[in-house]
Amino acid sequence: MKKLLMLTFLFLLSGCNLRTLDPVSETASDQAFLIKLGFWIMMVVVGVVTILFVAFTLKYRETDKNRYDIPKHEEGNRTLEIIWTVLPIILLVCLAIPTVIITYQASNISANPEETVHVNVTGEQFKWTFEYENGKKTHEKLVLPVNRDVIFHLKSKDVIHSFWVPRLAGKKDVIPGTVNKLEVVPNKTGTYQGKCAEFCGILHADMRFTTEVVSQQDFEEWLSSKKK
Amino acid sequence: MNVMEINIFGELLIIPTDVIAAWVLMIIGVPPVLYWITKKRHWPLIWDYATSTNHRKVGTLYIFFSVLFFFRAGIDALLIRLQLATPENQFWVFQGEKYNEIFTTHGTMMIFFVATPLLIGLMNVAVPLQIGANDLAFPFLNLIGLYLFVTGGTIFFLAFFFNAAPNVGWTAYTPLSTEDFTSGPNNNYYIMGLQVSGLGTIFAAINMIVTILRLRAPGLKLTRMPLFPWATLFTSFLILVAFPVLAIALLLLQFDRFYGATFFLGPQGHPVYWQHLFWIFGHPEVYILALPAFGIFSDIISNFSRKNVFGYTSMVLSLALIGLLGLMVWAHHMFTVGLGPFANTFFAITTMMIAVPTGIKIFNWLFTMRRGVIRMQTPMMFALGFIPTFVMGGVTGVMLASAAADMQYHDTYFVVAHFHYVIIGSTIFGAFAGIYYWYPKITGKMLNDKLGKWHFWLFLIGFHLTFFPQHLAGLNGMPRRVYDYTWEDGVFVYNFISTIGAFLMGGSMLFLIWNIYRAHRKKEENVGGDPWDGRTLEWTVPSPSPEHPFEKMPIIDRRDMLWWAKTQDKPIPVEEHPRAIPISTPTVQPMLIAAALFILSFGFIYHWIWVQVVGGILVLVFFVNRAFKDERIPAYEKEESEDEY
Repeated sequence: MKKLLMLTFLFLLSGCNLRTLDPVSETASDQAFLIKLGFWIMMVVVGVVTILFVAFTLKYRETDKNRYDIPKHEEGNRTLEIIWTVLPIILLVCLAIPTVIITYQASNISANPEETVHVNVTGEQFKWTFEYENGKKTHEKLVLPVNRDVIFHLKSKDVIHSFWVPRLAGKKDVIPGTVNKLEVVPNKTGTYQGKCAEFCGILHADMRFTTEVVSQQDFEEWLSSKKK
Repeated sequence: MNVMEINIFGELLIIPTDVIAAWVLMIIGVPPVLYWITKKRHWPLIWDYATSTNHRKVGTLYIFFSVLFFFRAGIDALLIRLQLATPENQFWVFQGEKYNEIFTTHGTMMIFFVATPLLIGLMNVAVPLQIGANDLAFPFLNLIGLYLFVTGGTIFFLAFFFNAAPNVGWTAYTPLSTEDFTSGPNNNYYIMGLQVSGLGTIFAAINMIVTILRLRAPGLKLTRMPLFPWATLFTSFLILVAFPVLAIALLLLQFDRFYGATFFLGPQGHPVYWQHLFWIFGHPEVYILALPAFGIFSDIISNFSRKNVFGYTSMVLSLALIGLLGLMVWAHHMFTVGLGPFANTFFAITTMMIAVPTGIKIFNWLFTMRRGVIRMQTPMMFALGFIPTFVMGGVTGVMLASAAADMQYHDTYFVVAHFHYVIIGSTIFGAFAGIYYWYPKITGKMLNDKLGKWHFWLFLIGFHLTFFPQHLAGLNGMPRRVYDYTWEDGVFVYNFISTIGAFLMGGSMLFLIWNIYRAHRKKEENVGGDPWDGRTLEWTVPSPSPEHPFEKMPIIDRRDMLWWAKTQDKPIPVEEHPRAIPISTPTVQPMLIAAALFILSFGFIYHWIWVQVVGGILVLVFFVNRAFKDERIPAYEKEESEDEY
């Protein structure tokens, strides 16, 4: 039990700089909120079970005194059983409602042709290709403007990959024969890790890229330059 | 040195050194074992077990082979942990392809050849005795099921020795698993191994259902059964629904791979079809692993608290509900596929609903202990370790069910941590608890409690050290199934702790081996029929359980009949005219059928048409032979002629 508490403490301690909990877009913030909400609601459950568990195992363990006792037959207790059916349902509803809202938001792709930056993302064993609207192509580096709508169009040349920039948004699978879309608005400049999250073969681990979120001006300059 | 080049008949073979090491180990290790068996004159005993259809012997073999495969897959896990111990590590050969092979083998073996058969083995040993049946309804089918499991496992096991271990993960996602991307025999081993053993699992399920519905002792209504048979019943129905789906999925994949069908890629097919089929099987499979363990824990917690199960009715109903809901949550493995928000939220909510019946069970276990007298013996220790461990796995399960959040968790080490928490927490703890609990019933000997507790504590501490940090590694962006990570990833500490924990778990298993060896080293006296002061019927028969344990059927009129009889100091009444007993005669037929299927499988794996033809004909011949020649007929005739007098 002590271990459980200690580990929880560890969890909280290191929670501040874990990538998925350090979001740089609205989408990732929503997801980080859900992660934290789920965690705290579930800590209530873990807490209640731990208290009962410790109390019962300490209080009712076999001792020299009760060694030959025969406990009373106990069929059940309707009130208690209703309590531990209803309370979890209430806790789950608290998690389910934001889950539904955020899941719908995350899947919603807006159509604003003026402002939006479209990037065609192609996954193949074992590299990524990022193609911008003006035809510019990169492989190792994905450059995005800050505070602008970006829509990724995800395609695969061979097997299933998964496009994931943990600090930017949850992952989306890249499936042959299908075009998946993912929309984000990065709200902080910086350099972030990108990875393939779906196992895709021998060099799956090396299928990485860096995401650079830069100011809108820098982005336009970079886009029109020949520089990679 | 990573590979060895061997020149055979002018052909250059390049063999990785781990394969060579394994072969050398086998060649050195096997002859002494064979010599020991011969010297101790154990061959007749082995032959007896290999041909007997008695449920206890079949169950023992299920457990024996599962434990064997457990060690193999456990060593794989340790090798994985060594490769991942530090960033940019180059441990032996385990990078790239080799790493993919080893995690595939670890996962597939643990699920199909360890967890599932371990539980089926315990069902075999305990369920007939708990319901007052003399054997399973179909003893012959039971032995076939065992042989199919062992054969499937062996096919899969051998892949590595021929340097052709499957390499696309235990989920074998298409199109990576199709011929276009992974040619060669590797993944054919996966298909054939699972196909053969899956058939055996279906047989076992049918057998359990019929046994529980038809062979209960007089008066033992369903509502008076202990919870392990109940869990077995629900599990068997889940197997009947889930495993045929796997069989179909594998068959379609086989057609894609062998004959260029395009179910999973191309103009008509789609790779996501595989994911649906696989998880329609795969999610119920999780509950197939969990429910029997719940049953075992219910019996053990009740026994070692000296109290009846709290809220029996809701325990049974929640088992049923978990099983039912388990069939409608499969797409929570596919939140990132792009099924759309409606499907995603639907499956998110059904998944969350499972937490309710599971919670009911947890609280009922806790309240079973309340006001009891809790004896801290090894089986109970595992049951007590299970409760907090499984709760932690359960709550991360609810967190994962939250669809939008899952887009972050999905395919990271967070998921790896979650499913190890639930599967080891329930199935493996449950199996260990069951093995310590029923060991006297299987062998007549007791495992040492002190060593058992060493095993328990080391395993528990090692387990949490291994898997807790993986939650954090996952949240920090470490995808699963990668053989490498960098210093900048910031996951080194988590992985290093994980590796230490894994070796603690591995070390704890040595205590189990030592314990079993110790129990059999010298001829100690039999511990008797009821060493734990039990409550259920299996403790009314001698240990080890004899061939026809209930020659006179007990008449049951309440739950925990034995406990009632003991506290009232009255014998359990018996039926003088028992019903017919399933007839068990030693038979070699299952062994031969399995051998034929083995040949057939290798024909498919290596595309040897003639071997396929020979294997296929052999299998058919044995089927036809069995249909017309039933070795039990003499026994039936004898019984009939006896009845006339």
